[in-house]
Amino acid sequence: MTKKIPPVIELRGLTKRYGVGDAEHNALDEIDLTIEKGEFITIMGPSGCGKTTLLNILGLLDRSDDGEYLLDGKSVETLSNTRHARIRSQQIGIVFQSFNLINRLNVIENVALPLTYKGMFRTKRLIMASEILKSFHLSEREYYMPWQLSGGQMQRVAIARALVNNPSIILADEPTGNLDSKSSHIVMEELSDLHKRGNTIVMVTHNPNLTTYASRVIQMLDGKVASDTKVPPAKKETNKKKPLNIESSTPPVKDTPKKSAKNRKKKQAKK
Amino acid sequence: MTSLLIFEHIQNAYHSLRSTKMRTLLTILGVAIGVASITTILSLGGGVTKLVSNQIDNLGGNIAVVRPGMVSKSLNDFTNPTTSGIFTTSTLTEEDFRDIQAVEGVEAAAPLMVLNGSVKSTKNGTKPANSVIVATTPSLEQIAKLPIRDGQFIDTVTDQNTSVIGSQLSVDLFGTDQSIGQTFTFRGQIFTVIGVLKHMNNPINYNNVDFDHTAIISLESGKGFNQGIVQIQQINVSAKSVDQLPHVIDTANKQLLANHQDEKDFDILSGEEIAKPTSQFFKAVTAVMTVIAAISLVVGGIGIMNIMLVGVAERTREIGLRKAVGASDINIVWQFLTESLIMSLLGGILGYISGYIIALMISTALPFDPIFSWEIAAIAMSIAVGVGTVFGLYPAIRAARKDPIESLRQYH
Repeated sequence: MTKKIPPVIELRGLTKRYGVGDAEHNALDEIDLTIEKGEFITIMGPSGCGKTTLLNILGLLDRSDDGEYLLDGKSVETLSNTRHARIRSQQIGIVFQSFNLINRLNVIENVALPLTYKGMFRTKRLIMASEILKSFHLSEREYYMPWQLSGGQMQRVAIARALVNNPSIILADEPTGNLDSKSSHIVMEELSDLHKRGNTIVMVTHNPNLTTYASRVIQMLDGKVASDTKVPPAKKETNKKKPLNIESSTPPVKDTPKKSAKNRKKKQAKK
Repeated sequence: MTSLLIFEHIQNAYHSLRSTKMRTLLTILGVAIGVASITTILSLGGGVTKLVSNQIDNLGGNIAVVRPGMVSKSLNDFTNPTTSGIFTTSTLTEEDFRDIQAVEGVEAAAPLMVLNGSVKSTKNGTKPANSVIVATTPSLEQIAKLPIRDGQFIDTVTDQNTSVIGSQLSVDLFGTDQSIGQTFTFRGQIFTVIGVLKHMNNPINYNNVDFDHTAIISLESGKGFNQGIVQIQQINVSAKSVDQLPHVIDTANKQLLANHQDEKDFDILSGEEIAKPTSQFFKAVTAVMTVIAAISLVVGGIGIMNIMLVGVAERTREIGLRKAVGASDINIVWQFLTESLIMSLLGGILGYISGYIIALMISTALPFDPIFSWEIAAIAMSIAVGVGTVFGLYPAIRAARKDPIESLRQYH
């Protein structure tokens, strides 16, 4: 890691309290965390350990009560709501468990939505959204409505939407929580592919199998970081094959590596 | 940055309003009814207000009117302008009238003496309810441009017991408008009809007399009913030319002041001033009615607020998501405000159009037409936009204040 580039995210003694008086407890208890560019972090932990709270604070959807949060080297804790909105629109992409596509809008409009708040004109928005959708192999679904898609497709659309404004970091809150294993796998391949293209991803999950995609696994317990393991690339590769082998009997799984290979080729071609 | 989003907000509003057609339509209707009633009242009120000034314009601009009493500008004056002077003893005397007639440059002058009492047909005893008796001189025909349909106007040689009657009074009294030679009684005295006026359908005019329902008798007969004293409600003066009018007014003013021991207990009005008391009265009536109609707008506005609050509640998740992908509070406020503004603006347009349709339908039964002016359009539209803003702002702010985390957690 180069020292000159500031880490994407740096947390110093981040604390979030809930409740009053006797009922008060720390959802986040003085968390120190540094996330470098290009990392794929999964945050694991039992329910109520504070991982979603952490993700919300990282996504500037919530504010901490104490501590410091540096995003791209700049402190963002004390900024106004409007500035937070602007940072969300320019530096952060969020993927939700329940996809959160707007049913009134078709796929391409959903993907183009974040660009609206960057003040981009409609035509340019749709061109950019179309490009992103192409890289997700959803070009032929551009004018479908969200309810005409499968869960996996919906989540891929949602990932495309999170990516369209070219964010510094992608935050994913249980992205596979509402999907079957087949779709989960496709979605995870997609995220893994994004990671390989140099995107920084923070993912909250319950599913220990998914940690195999990550470059770093953080275990949380009672608002504290219990363990922080970096997965060495070599080990990651071997681990990665494991779920593939398990599910290799199903055809879509065979499909996906091809897809990512294609993506990689495309990306190289672009460069 | 936000200015660029106006198109997005409009498009977005179009989509979301289209997806809930029925309730959008009903909300628009709520605003439209309020705007329609205001448009109707304003256009008809404007019509009646302009009526009198139009008449004065038509008379050629060389008319002045002398009225008794001091014209005060207080609101109380509006409450009964048409009959003020009738129930009070006039300060104008026959001497004043003769003096005005003698002023240089005066073409003609005619006093109006309105008498209390009712007329009764000698043929069948019918007593029309709303008839008016006016005693005047022959020059009134010329000054007020009264059109004669049959017979002749009273003149200097006609008998004191003759009368010229309005066409409607003729029908009311005798059942026909061919009533020359017929007789009626007024306070026991018998009058013979020597002329019938054309139907004018002009109840509101600067003479404050509806000539369709009037029996015109000579000033001498009028004096006979009032112990030989003339009781003048108004003197109409016409100058020989428009240029001479200011001079005539000036001289008449001096003359009357001299007659009245320097007491200014009369008014000489010309041009727009003549119409003013009547116009102001109707303006006041219009204003009061507009305020009452505005209540229906409040109801329409509450309709907008209600529907917008429902819309905000329904789209809580969408709001949360929009915030998560970078919408600021202001963006959200504008998104919902645009929606309520579009609804109220459509309601305004619909209300404006239907308001005129109603006004035109009502005016077929009235002696005047509604006026078309940009002011009414501007008032209707600004009221609509005002309602949309006032009642749309609270739901919009509520939407913007929603916590994105809470909003996204909500399931349908």
